[in-house]
Amino acid sequence: MTREIQQKLRAEARNLLEKGKVDRVIGYGAGSLKFATTPLIISDKANADRLVVNPFIHNNLSVFLPDLCGKVAIVAKVCDARSIISLVQNKQIAREDVFIIGVPCSGIIDLAKVQKLTGLDRDEIGDMSWKGDKVAVTFAGGSKEFSAGEVLAGSCLGCDCSGFQEFDLVIGEIKTLAGGKDLSRNKIQEMEAMSPAQRWEFWKNEFSRCIRCYACRQLCPVCFCERCFVEETEPLWVSPLPKWQDNLIFQAVRMMHVAGRCTDCGECERACPANIPLGILTGKMEDIVEELFQYRAGMDKDAPPLMAAYQPEEAENLMR
Amino acid sequence: MKKIKKQNAARLLEKWQKEFTVFVPSKASGVAQMAVWDGQDLAFLEHNRNTVIPPKANFLPSIQKMFGFRKEEGGYVLEPTDEDPPKQLLFGIHPCDARAIAIIDMVFKDAYEDRYYLSRRQNTVLVGMACTSPYDNCFCTSLGFGPADATDVDIMLTDIGDSFLIEEITDKGKEVLAGAKDVMAATPADEKKARAVKESAKARVSTKIDTDEIGKRLPLVFDDRKFWEEISAKCVSCGICTFLCPTCYCFDINDEMLRDGSGARYRNWDCCSFAVYTKMPTENPREDKWRRVRQKVYHKYAFYPELFGIIGCTGCGRCIRQCPVNWDITQTLNSLPAGTPTKKQETQKSS
Repeated sequence: MTREIQQKLRAEARNLLEKGKVDRVIGYGAGSLKFATTPLIISDKANADRLVVNPFIHNNLSVFLPDLCGKVAIVAKVCDARSIISLVQNKQIAREDVFIIGVPCSGIIDLAKVQKLTGLDRDEIGDMSWKGDKVAVTFAGGSKEFSAGEVLAGSCLGCDCSGFQEFDLVIGEIKTLAGGKDLSRNKIQEMEAMSPAQRWEFWKNEFSRCIRCYACRQLCPVCFCERCFVEETEPLWVSPLPKWQDNLIFQAVRMMHVAGRCTDCGECERACPANIPLGILTGKMEDIVEELFQYRAGMDKDAPPLMAAYQPEEAENLMR
Repeated sequence: MKKIKKQNAARLLEKWQKEFTVFVPSKASGVAQMAVWDGQDLAFLEHNRNTVIPPKANFLPSIQKMFGFRKEEGGYVLEPTDEDPPKQLLFGIHPCDARAIAIIDMVFKDAYEDRYYLSRRQNTVLVGMACTSPYDNCFCTSLGFGPADATDVDIMLTDIGDSFLIEEITDKGKEVLAGAKDVMAATPADEKKARAVKESAKARVSTKIDTDEIGKRLPLVFDDRKFWEEISAKCVSCGICTFLCPTCYCFDINDEMLRDGSGARYRNWDCCSFAVYTKMPTENPREDKWRRVRQKVYHKYAFYPELFGIIGCTGCGRCIRQCPVNWDITQTLNSLPAGTPTKKQETQKSS
């Protein structure tokens, strides 16, 4: 199944480059690590055979779009495609410059979760593969099966593809995962059950580990500011020193800035070397945006950006 | 050589705890790093793999107060801090990380003596542990040492089953072992076992690079912009590979000041991958991403050897394992074009 999709993708990519329909194709190449793929940007059709599709195509490649000139074809899971449209909505890229190739996704297996469940590191795991609706993990001396709910990335559990119609080409069949939105909100519910003091302690503990590598920001497709507020020095909005209070402020402000453009793709959490559960924040933020504004980022290219547009007839209470 | 039974290792740590703050590899904080031993957790005796946060953090913390200051009539009064940092003992450090510390030492002793770093360094004992389970992408054996090399530690432990073989490497190492009740003399059989363990660890390091070839090629490809642009295309310019690199030592300096003019000066990790790197004093000379990626490779593999006669990389593999886009320095190093010598280089060669 994946092999067939991979073959079709390679043929389409070759064709697009050969016919001059696009200048570049962004997709996934084989990774150097087990269970990894790596972003692959090609302009020569001879390289089309380096494109891969497998259960580990985790990166949201739309982060590369604003920096690339010319017409670009991009391999996208539906969540990534929403980020692309979010970039279009926010005028970071022009819709006609992007050719979106949709590929099916069975959900991104969260390696960190598998490692926690098995007590093994990446290179100690023999293989991970889908077996029906379960993920089979083999290792020296045994194997185990896990349900999607146990091992899928939090953002994948909340996967909702319905209503997205912006693909220029779809290879295979794209459908919403059967993870269940409730499952993806487990952690958020746990947080909501806490007292404010407990929540404060929780985040204090989490942000104490932040080293300010800014991987969350750099991997985020909708963190597109040319100059991030943390880099401003006059005034100094937030200290560059990685103290937990400033780390928390940095992340809280980043979250506010991407509200209405964040699609909860999960890249920030996945990138974090300190294992800070940023998905709790992006998930909650997406819920709030939906509840207050009935708005989902990246669904409609013609919809004005939520926080950057104002109509006189809008409920003015919001602005007071 | 000496040895200690594993079941008695905790007692040795307790003995050291009386004199030192004892750090051990730990995941308790939510990320693997050297953490103050809680007196309970001994998981690292059985399963000890490279921490995510490198032990350089014990000498060059991600945030370090340099001095305090307050405003008085006529100017500022400085309040020195950290004159005498606490004595620390790092237990279970791997040869690659110990080598990395030896490498950074050269920088902090070079143009001037950096007391913030060196005072911590001098107050530290390194108890190494042979790395018996290197990661699949570790490549230390390509850099002139191996996962069981004892050169850069004070004491070296090797897991020989029910015991650790102990090698005393430095006087400091001998000193801290003196009077340890549970330490016994090792038998020739123990030493033989340790040799086998070390050999097998070495054999498990499977990723290779050819440093001779890299040394030859790097001077020829500096201006190969196309190559560096291609290599760097997928880099997103975050700070993971440098912050987690055990030999990256760049720091930034920042003041925190209250309205009354009192405050403190700190230094914190900085990173040449950031577009704003060195923007404060001047400009970043490497505005393009490909130049920044090239810098990282050259600093480790060309400039460091030139300045200090050693490659500034220990093959610990953190930059590869933690990279969110799986940028892999070994792939870059192994794919350097052969290049063509410039006229100048040709002349230098023949003269």
